[in-house]
Amino acid sequence: MKNSILKTLTLAGVLVIGLSSCGNGGDKSTDQNAANDADKQILGAGSTFGNPIYTKMFSEYGKTSGIQTNYQSIGSGAGVKQLMNKLVDFGASDAFLSNKEDSACSAKVVEFPTCLGAVVISYNLPENPALKLTPEVLSDIFLKKITKWNDKKIAEVNEGVKLPDMDITVVHRSDGSGTTYIFTDYLSKVSDDFKSTVGKGKDVKWPEGEIGEKGNEGCAGFIKQTSGAIGYIELTYALQNNFTSASLKNAAGNFVTPTLESASLCANGDIPADTRISIVNSNVDQAYPISSFTWVLLYKEQNYNNRSKDKATNLVKELWWMIHEGQAQAKPLNYAPLPAKAVAAAEGVLKSVTYGGQPILQ
Amino acid sequence: MTPFDTRGLKRRRFKDKIFTSIVWGLTFSCLLVVFIILFYIFKKGIGSINWALFTQGPKPVGELGGGISNAIVGSLMVVVVAALFAIPMGVSVGIYLADNRGKKWAERVAIAVDVLQGIPSIVIGIVIYIWIVKPVGSFSSLSGSVALAIMMLPPIIKNTEETLVLIPNTLKEASLGLGASYFKTTMKILLPTGIGGIFGGCIIGIARITGEVAPLLFTAFGNPAMVKSIFKPVDTVPKVIFAYASSPYDDWRRIAWGGSLILVVFIILLNAIIKLFERKWKVQF
Repeated sequence: MKNSILKTLTLAGVLVIGLSSCGNGGDKSTDQNAANDADKQILGAGSTFGNPIYTKMFSEYGKTSGIQTNYQSIGSGAGVKQLMNKLVDFGASDAFLSNKEDSACSAKVVEFPTCLGAVVISYNLPENPALKLTPEVLSDIFLKKITKWNDKKIAEVNEGVKLPDMDITVVHRSDGSGTTYIFTDYLSKVSDDFKSTVGKGKDVKWPEGEIGEKGNEGCAGFIKQTSGAIGYIELTYALQNNFTSASLKNAAGNFVTPTLESASLCANGDIPADTRISIVNSNVDQAYPISSFTWVLLYKEQNYNNRSKDKATNLVKELWWMIHEGQAQAKPLNYAPLPAKAVAAAEGVLKSVTYGGQPILQ
Repeated sequence: MTPFDTRGLKRRRFKDKIFTSIVWGLTFSCLLVVFIILFYIFKKGIGSINWALFTQGPKPVGELGGGISNAIVGSLMVVVVAALFAIPMGVSVGIYLADNRGKKWAERVAIAVDVLQGIPSIVIGIVIYIWIVKPVGSFSSLSGSVALAIMMLPPIIKNTEETLVLIPNTLKEASLGLGASYFKTTMKILLPTGIGGIFGGCIIGIARITGEVAPLLFTAFGNPAMVKSIFKPVDTVPKVIFAYASSPYDDWRRIAWGGSLILVVFIILLNAIIKLFERKWKVQF
């Protein structure tokens, strides 16, 4: 009896191996089809911030084009890293490549913006009053120089608002994050004090006594549960959680509430050809000051690692679709679509992508 | 002098009672934690269980519904291939350790297995990323299987060894004495006799790796499409739970709860199978 069990198990094992090799055999017999299929499968990875809109865009694009796109939201930093290791067809990041990262790439990498997002200041206070904040006050809060909600500096800009006598609990991202980059980029621009003590980056050294949480979700969850908490999160997360967000005083001196419209005003200026531009602290009249593009990165020369020209063409065509027809997906998902000047700059970048030295898009 | 001091006895009995109640209390609180977790997952997950969860692929944000069929198939694929790697290897090492107890090399191998058990799963994932994913130039379900196979080895080895050691030496000696080869003795006497324990070890191994996400993040990677090849990136249930649970969208979080429930039920079933096997084919002499 025991023997029969062993036999059954072995048989099951053989069957499984047989079946799996059958599957492979089937693939091989239609070699040409398999090659075509591989050309139609695009792999991308990076920004968690862009994940919702990218999944939506690729799902829509797949319906009409037959291109199957696999986008994995592993974080901006990791996405750039996988592109450097040539394991993905394109990377996605909330920060454009620094000069250091650029020189670390083995071949020329180009990048272009796909949409816009805003980082908002959300808080949890009794009765959730609508607060106004100036760059100075915001910087002081995140530097732990203002530690009470009823501090005189906060009260001065919020006349008539009843501020509670509570400690401010500051929460920031504990993981390397594009959101942190955008936020610290802004604070470094508006406050010399912040620039010299914390500085900008995906992962910075925050003052002691602040709370670190992983991901936009972690920060949003903390704010939701903690009375007296304040933190920075992507606009989508604030809207999904029904948070009240602070109005910020922009460079033009106006207090602006974060909305898609006020965030996209930042991007109305000129965009350089390589699209590497920080648009925080815009001096446009009604612009919300903490907004940023999010970028897609790819190799300028697509003939590497034995990639076929078909695959390269499929990739570039798909990215082209993202900055045109794909933009219609932005607003329903709380992203701001690209302004015309940014689309033009992105077109220029995509036209510069080559296969074997020849431009892919004619 | 009386045979024993009654007052001291009372005190000792009192101490015993306290100790017993502490043991009972702690056991109960441990069980309570398990039941609270199970209850919570069932409560949250049961509403998400529907036909679509098993038959449909993921939907993008803004489109309600969708399922995790691609991840369920992916998980099965990754785990089955991992088991195909790990079971023959693990059982062989177990046989070696049981046969050579106390010998210098067997001791070293045993220590190595202990060390392997202690290595954090994320480290195994990174090692496989460097060994397989980077040189090959692509993420694949196969590389995920290799990572999981490494994690499966220790429980399989330990269970095989401990089961085989229980089999009396006389049985083996009788077989060898009748002229059966070492191969025949192992295949026809040792393994069939210990099949319950060995199979149990394999299932424990599978139960251990089914819920793993860390070693798969940079090996099996992920894929919203249904995949049939082991050379392509693939989604797994734990990875989907990990990604969906931290999203801002209620519908994705709902699916994450459904996925958790499927995973938990699967692991409870595996444990039930182990108990069944142990009862039926326990080594007894």
